[in-house]
Amino acid sequence: MRYFFQRFLQLLLVFVIVTFVVLVVMRVGSSNAQELAIKLAGRPLKPEESDALIQQYNLDANFISQYLTWLKNLVFHFDLGFSPQAGQSVADLLKPRVWTTVLLGLYANVFGLLIAIPLAVTQAYRRDRPFDKVGSMATFIAVGVPGIVLGVFLKLIFVVQLGWFPSIGDKIYPWDDLHEHFMNFFLPTLTLTIPVAAIYTRLLRADMVMTLQSDFITLASAKGVPPRRVVWKHGLRNSLFSLVTAVGTQLGALIGSAVLVESLFDLDGLGSQLVVSVLSADLFTVQSFVAIIVLIVVVVNLLVDLSYALIDPRIRQARALG
Amino acid sequence: MSIGSTTNITQAALRDVPGPLLELTDVRTHFRTPRGLVRAVDGVSFTLERGRSLGIVGESGSGKTILSRSIMGLLPTKGTERSGSIRFAGTEVGNKSRKEMRHIWGKEMAMIFQDPMTSLNPLMRIGDQIAEPLRLHLGMSKADAAATARRLLQDVRIPEPDRRLAQYPHEMSGGMRQRVMIAIAMACGPTALFADEPTTALDVTVQAQILDLLGEQRRERNMSLVLVTHDLGVVAGHTDEIAVMYGGKLVEKAPTKRLFAAMKMPYTEGLLASIPKLEDRSHSRLNVIPGRPPDLVNPPKGCRFAPRCPYASARCNEEEPPLTATQDDPDHSYACWYPVGSPEYHEARARINASAGVN
Repeated sequence: MRYFFQRFLQLLLVFVIVTFVVLVVMRVGSSNAQELAIKLAGRPLKPEESDALIQQYNLDANFISQYLTWLKNLVFHFDLGFSPQAGQSVADLLKPRVWTTVLLGLYANVFGLLIAIPLAVTQAYRRDRPFDKVGSMATFIAVGVPGIVLGVFLKLIFVVQLGWFPSIGDKIYPWDDLHEHFMNFFLPTLTLTIPVAAIYTRLLRADMVMTLQSDFITLASAKGVPPRRVVWKHGLRNSLFSLVTAVGTQLGALIGSAVLVESLFDLDGLGSQLVVSVLSADLFTVQSFVAIIVLIVVVVNLLVDLSYALIDPRIRQARALG
Repeated sequence: MSIGSTTNITQAALRDVPGPLLELTDVRTHFRTPRGLVRAVDGVSFTLERGRSLGIVGESGSGKTILSRSIMGLLPTKGTERSGSIRFAGTEVGNKSRKEMRHIWGKEMAMIFQDPMTSLNPLMRIGDQIAEPLRLHLGMSKADAAATARRLLQDVRIPEPDRRLAQYPHEMSGGMRQRVMIAIAMACGPTALFADEPTTALDVTVQAQILDLLGEQRRERNMSLVLVTHDLGVVAGHTDEIAVMYGGKLVEKAPTKRLFAAMKMPYTEGLLASIPKLEDRSHSRLNVIPGRPPDLVNPPKGCRFAPRCPYASARCNEEEPPLTATQDDPDHSYACWYPVGSPEYHEARARINASAGVN
């Protein structure tokens, strides 16, 4: 518990540092508060308008005060600022989009693992036999092809040629309409899942092959434990470390791919909006993006950290000792 | 014998079969490697009676571990060529697949490995690891298996069994873990136990305790024990018979007392001479057998030990000596043209001593 608390504080610090740096980088170009206010508003301002903005967001103070004001607005009022391009508050702009990206990331990871675990376990168990060789070849190709190329390829085949996944409506979330959700999400999810599944498979297979050569695996066989149970019960759990670590580290890359995939398949997610906001120097929106993405990465890594302890009693006990 | 009729060997049936528990005839285990065929076990024959213990002794690379794993059928199938006959309680097991052997493993034949630090699953509680074969083979309920596991821990003299059952391997010392290994091996009451260097990785003070425990369990359970080791000292007090292996072959086999009193094979003599003795002066040079074990891809033509044997003559390099029984004891056999005690042996010895300047 103490370990968890320490880790939480560490990750909180990561969040603060990253968001602070982004705030400074985006505001450091403006020589005075008026100029910054104009930049934030994205249009020429009357003096009283600019004074109001400066007042509201503490723009004439130093960066630390500006940051604290931003943080206070975020935590206490859930005020992320406003987007002049969209003509609405950043919170209203992003709220419906956050779920698109979160769902894409979640699906890619869940389906990635659902494909990778049985595939890798079977490959490791049948090492160097045809199944393993074909599997290794397939995952190698899948790791090598850039996600965006795969996305374009899938779109050409399934949307342009076959016309299987027409864009139907904008009820894209499962709680709105499951069928529409499926139609809208299938190809983007597939595009993200294939490379992720391939990476997970390769990592897990390598660890599994090592584990299956351990003495305790031979002992499990020598006890008369059926091969299926030897592999799944004794082998898999001892091979999960690289995989779990990868789930945490792949997340950043996954959000990066989501940006491209959302644009390609016309999904309104954080990714597609980020491109627009960065290009139009929409400071509040970009700042909020970074905050949300860092928050997601931090939370997932905290979960990854917890799962090490769930898997391995040695880690659990070492942490308990502090 | 057809495979189908022998798949299900029941414990009761095994116990009732008359004759030796284990009967090996010309067992060979060869591995296909890029360098060629490695003849790890090359024509081994012996029998082991019920409740008896046999020590298999040899250097690293002599094939002793591969032999014990061949008997259990625990080797990888890929790249392995097996031949010869292995009869276990009257049933041929040498040609059985891993799938068929599974019903024998843990139940009829059990094994203890060399390194207790790596042989237990680090992520599973001790209790669950002992209970696993009980539930699988004997179909015990969770509660029964736990109670039996507790009793097994007591049998192997682990204090506070209740606390230990809930622990993980890393919370135990090497000696404790080896006791757990023995408890696991004992769990289903096997008729044969293979212990592969069970004390090599342990502290010297713990070695004797573990060996005593093994011997005691064997007597109590009327189990046959095959003790594989490189250390003649280990088998000396703990086995009925000793088989010495060299280069994948048995080179000498005798009842333990007889072997130490009247060894025939110069290799056995060399092994015994390499054990440091208490009466040796301190810092005296350790006796070693010069050279290295033979290359098992291209073994020497004659006696495999000849290149390293101080008493070897021309015949040893040309003709391979067969394993033959001594005249006075049919249980003592050896494979040597000029065994320890023969006139040629004394002659060669005198020659060596003369050249070394000793009178």
